[in-house]
Formats: sequence, structure tokens, C-alpha cells
Amino acid sequence: MVPTSYYILLSAALFTIGVLGVLIRRNAIVVFMAVELMLNAANLALVAYARERLSIDGQVLVFFVITVAAAEVAVGLALLVAIFRTKRTTDVDEVSTLRG
Amino acid sequence: MEWLIWLIPLLPFVGFLLNVFVIRHERPAGLVASGLVAASFVVAVTAIAMLAGLPEEERRIISVGWEWINAGDLRVPFGIMLDPLSAVMVLLVTGVGALIHFYSIGYMHGDARVVRYFAYLNLFVTMMLFLVMGNNMLILFLGWEGVGLCSFLLIGHWFERKSAAAAAVKAFVVNRIGDAAFILAMLAIYANFGTLNFYEVTVAGEVQPGFLERVPEIIGQSFGPSWQPIALATGISFLLLIGATGKSAQFPLFVWLPDAMAGPTPVSALIHAATMVTGGVYMMTRTEALFAASPATQTWVLWVGALTALIAGTAAIAQWDIKRVLAYSTVSQLGFMVAACGMGAYVAAIFHLLTHGIFKALLFLGSGSVIHGTHDTQDMRKMGGLRTAMPTTYWTYLVGAGALAGIVPLAGFWSKDEILAHALSHNHWPQLIILFLTSLLTAFYMGRQVALVFFGTQRDTHYHAHESGRVMTVPLIVLAVGAVIGGAINLPWGHWLTDWLHPVLHEEAGSFNPVLALIATAGAVGMSYLGWWLYTSNAAKVKVGGKDPAYRYTGDIWDGLEEAWYVDRLYERVIVQPFRGLGDFLARVFDPQGIDGLVLGIGRFFGWAGAQVRELQSGYVRTYALVFTAGVVLVLSFMLIFTR
Repeated sequence: MVPTSYYILLSAALFTIGVLGVLIRRNAIVVFMAVELMLNAANLALVAYARERLSIDGQVLVFFVITVAAAEVAVGLALLVAIFRTKRTTDVDEVSTLRG
Repeated sequence: MEWLIWLIPLLPFVGFLLNVFVIRHERPAGLVASGLVAASFVVAVTAIAMLAGLPEEERRIISVGWEWINAGDLRVPFGIMLDPLSAVMVLLVTGVGALIHFYSIGYMHGDARVVRYFAYLNLFVTMMLFLVMGNNMLILFLGWEGVGLCSFLLIGHWFERKSAAAAAVKAFVVNRIGDAAFILAMLAIYANFGTLNFYEVTVAGEVQPGFLERVPEIIGQSFGPSWQPIALATGISFLLLIGATGKSAQFPLFVWLPDAMAGPTPVSALIHAATMVTGGVYMMTRTEALFAASPATQTWVLWVGALTALIAGTAAIAQWDIKRVLAYSTVSQLGFMVAACGMGAYVAAIFHLLTHGIFKALLFLGSGSVIHGTHDTQDMRKMGGLRTAMPTTYWTYLVGAGALAGIVPLAGFWSKDEILAHALSHNHWPQLIILFLTSLLTAFYMGRQVALVFFGTQRDTHYHAHESGRVMTVPLIVLAVGAVIGGAINLPWGHWLTDWLHPVLHEEAGSFNPVLALIATAGAVGMSYLGWWLYTSNAAKVKVGGKDPAYRYTGDIWDGLEEAWYVDRLYERVIVQPFRGLGDFLARVFDPQGIDGLVLGIGRFFGWAGAQVRELQSGYVRTYALVFTAGVVLVLSFMLIFTR
């Protein structure tokens, strides 16, 4: 059986890639995908620990995360469409009207 | 019986309420106001007749309305009283007051604010009656402040004139100095006697003491530093003296009274000659036991009175305004009364107060008649020869002037002579000389005034002088009769007033000195004639806006006299201008730079700090995300390191 630590390492790697994606990329869709990556890295960690501890709780929680993520995608993409319609771009640096 | 004395102050108060809330027209206002004061006079006469029917030692009717203040040890009943001293004051206030109310109907006819005028006049009479009828210091103070307020309101009756508004404020502010001392005196009395009542009174079955009956308790007590102890009686009575100098316009606080002439002339007659300004003399007479306990204060009282008499008397001879002559004369005569108080001759002080109240009211009303008949002319240089145009005013004015000058047998002679005789018999030589000189000056300036106003020919012919109507001349005639026979209440043989006041003041009748009386009369007649002769023979030299004929004998001293020894200007320089300067500094420098600098500075600092902080708000999502991530990393590492 694959040891739990492998899963955790993979999860950490995915999460880091997600964080870097959010921080570095300027395309809103890519940023969005990076956020999804982080969510799924967390999901992976949850199921890995759930298997390790022979507990069903973590697995259940994952379903909730997937549901919320789906809702979030729906809202996020709608926002993206709205931004694109007004700004004609998906570059997040262009959307800085909240600057003080 | 007891309730009857409440009617005396309350009838004018009803007039005040009616005039404030109900009456809207001139004619009913005047009739109601004067009618109620006259009714009050009738009630007063009735009550005093009953008072006179009591045995001498019981002649004090005290009536307590309700417990006014009941806070811990401080118990003040709202009680008024009628005793021989209050009685004579009440007669003066309501009697002369009623005449002046009637006179006002004619004098104020056609004025824009007559109803208000009569309302204030009624309120004044109410307050003056509370002043003289209160059975404790607090009610006396209620009246004291009430008359001060009415004085302010009535001086400023024609407030469109800047000078009248300024004079009203000046009178109020100068009076405050005396009032502050009066409050301190009240506190000292309460602290040392535990009561503010003058005489013992029973409230709801409980006996409250009166401080005048307990004065011997504090004799010998003192306060202050051990190297210079001050007797308690001296401290209290000196504060009361300062209070009296404010209200009774004594040196050094007399400056408000001449300016108060900006008010309507009947107001000057009622408030600034006959009644309110005598409040200080009444108060000192009432608290005579305290003054008697302090020879030091007595000396001060005597000197203040004598100096005031002299300063104001010299100022009166150099005035051109017909009312200012009388105003300074009033200050001077008040000085006589205060000096009499200082000598311990309280009966003489009250006697002079009463006769002066009558003949000075007569003179003021006469001058009002002159002003009325000459279409608001007050400068005596513009008058002259009015005796043919205004015969009634002339004859009554002559009687008043004679009474003031001290011509036998008019009222002023007897009262002034009693003061001088007392000074002589008690060896107050310097004061006697000062007061005698002042009485000579009095005769001189009255001769001068009569000559300038009524003799010669009319110098300014722009107006047509006419006699005033019946409503104004009748009070003049009544007061003139009073000024002739008023002295009869305390003639050297008979001294009815001394006997009447004996239950309150316990004074024996003074001795009559025929030599002094003869010298005083000769002086009065001579100086009156001199004043009359100087200004009739030099009438041609009196020009509108010109110098006085006496100027060539005295030179610039005359200018100094006209300015009342520059006391007013001294205050202007020493107090008013520095105060204005301070106010200016506060308003123009300290407020915009100090206060505004501080307040606006705080605002500006936060504005600046906000501008600095808003730079952080770049609007880039990734910056926020980076800060967020860094924060998470920080928190997590903290937990990893410290909370293992």
C-alpha cells in the first residue's frame, strides 16, 4: 500500500503550485484554476488522513468541499464573464478599480 | 390681617402679568398698571394703620407663605414682613411709584412699546416691594436682583439707540460687582449664624432664629491670618458695604448711574432717584446691627458716603444735560444718606431717603416735562426762558430745587440738616466739612440749572415749547406739595419718624443745632442765588456747544468736573480697554491659532496618516493574495514553533 506520507507530499506540492499560480499568473481563468487546484490538494489530504485513521469523517467532508467548489466555480465564472463584458479583458491586474 | 400684606407686592405683580399676557393696547396698559400700584398704596396705608394700632414692641407683622428652600441645615421660608422701617419704604415705593405710573401715561404716549414699558414698571414695583418687605436676606436679594433686571430692561427701553443699550449693559455689569459681594456676605451670614432670617420666625410650628437678634454672638470672633486677624462683623459688613456701593451708586461704582439717564425720564425718577438706588441704604439700615458691631466698617461707610457726595456734587455743577445734573445730584444725595449710615444716624438716613425720594422724583418728572415740552431737548444750552411757556413745571421745579438745595422750610432742609447736625454733635469734623461744602455745591448747581432752563430767553428757537398735559402736571403738583410738607414727618420738635422707627432702630432723636441750621440756610440761599445770578447775568455767553461761563474762572478744572473727575475714563483705560484687548487677543489670535490649530491639527494628522495608509490599497488581487498567504504562513509557523 502506498504510504500516507506520499499522498501528503503530493497534496503539499499541488497546494504550492496552486498558491504560486494565484500569486503569479495574471489571467483570471488560470488564477481560477489554481484556486481549484488548492481546493483539490486539500481534498487529497483529507481523504489520505481519513484512510490512515480509518475514519469516514474526512471523506464526507470532501463531498462538501466538492459541492462548495462547484458553487464557487459557478459564481466565479459568472463574475469573470461580467468583468470581461465591461473590461474586454481577463487580466486581473487591469481590474484594480478598488485601488485607494 | 397677616394675609393683607401679601396684597402689597402682589397687586403690582398682577399688573405685570396682565400687561405681559393680556393687554395689547396703550390705554388699558397704563390704566391697569397705575391703578394697581395705586391700589397697592391704599392697601399699604390700611396695613400700616393697623400696624400703628399695635403696641410699639409688637409692631412687626411677619407672614410666611411657604417653605422656600429646605436643604439640610439651610431653611429659607418665603416670608415677608411689615415693620416700621419696611412701612415707610413701602409708602414711598407705592406712593411715589403710583404718581410716576400716572405721569408715564402722558410721557410715554405714542411710544412704540408702551405695554412692555408698563409691564416692566409693574415688575419693578413688585421687586422693590419684595426688597423692602423680605424677612430674610434671600428675599431681599430676590428683590435686589429683580430691580436690577428691571433697571436694565428699562434703561434699554429705547434699545435702538446704541447709547441706551450700552448704558443698560454698563448698569448691569457694574451692579454685578456689588451683587457678588452681597452674595459673599449672605454666605458668610449663613455660615456664622446658620440662618438668613432677619428676625425670629415660626414656620410650621418650628421656630427659626433671626441673625440680627444674634449679632452679639460673633462679636470678638475673627478670621484671616494670625498676623492680621479681621473681625467677623467687619468682614460681613464690609461685603455688605460693597453691595451697597453697587446698588446705591457710591464711589467707586457710581459710574453707571449718570449713563442710566438714557432710559425714559419717569424711569430715572422712579428707579434711579426715588427707589432702587436707595436699596443699598435700606439694606444697610436693616442690617444696622452688623454695622454697629464693626467700627472699622462704619468709618469706611462714612468716608465712602462723604467722598461720593463731594465727587458727584462737583460733577453735577458742570453738566449740560438737564438729566445728568440730576443724576449726579442723586449720587451726591445718596452719598449723604450713606454717610449718615456711617455716622450711625440711620433715622436721618431714612429721613433723607424719604424726602429725597419725593423731591428728586419731582425734579426728574419736572425735567421730563421740560424734555417733553421742548420736543426731546436735553441740552440746557438749547433751553432758557421756559418759565413763561411752562408755568406749572416752572413753579413745581422751583419747589423741588429749593427742597434739594435745602431752603427753609422745604423737606430737604430738615433731612439734610439732621445729617449735618448729627455729624457736628458726634465730632465727625472732616466729614461735616465735606458734606457742608457739598450742600453748598448742591444749592449752586440747582440755582444754575433753574437759571439755564427757566430764565433768560430761549437760545435754540427750533422748537416751540409748550406746557405738558394734566396727566403729567398733576403728579408734579402732588409731589411739590410733598416736597413742601415732607419735612414735617421729622421736625426737630416732634420727631415723629424717630419715634416711629424706634422699635427697629432704637435711636434717640438727634439734637437740633440752630447755629448750624442758620449757617446752612444762609449758605444754601447764598449759593442758590450765586448760581442763579451767574447764569442769568451771563446768559448771553451760553452758546449751543460752547463753554460754560464759569470756565474762565476755573480753567480746565471745569472739564475735569464735567467728566466726574475722570473716574469713568480711568475705568475705560484700566479695566475696559485691557479687557477688550484680552478679548480681542482671544478672538483673533488665540482662537484661530491656538484652539483651531489644535482641533484642525488633529484632523490634519489623521488625514495625512490616512493618505499614507491608502497607498497599501493597490487594487491588485495578487498583492492581497500575497499578503494573505504570508499571513497564513506566519500564523502557521507561529503555531508550529510555539504551540507544539
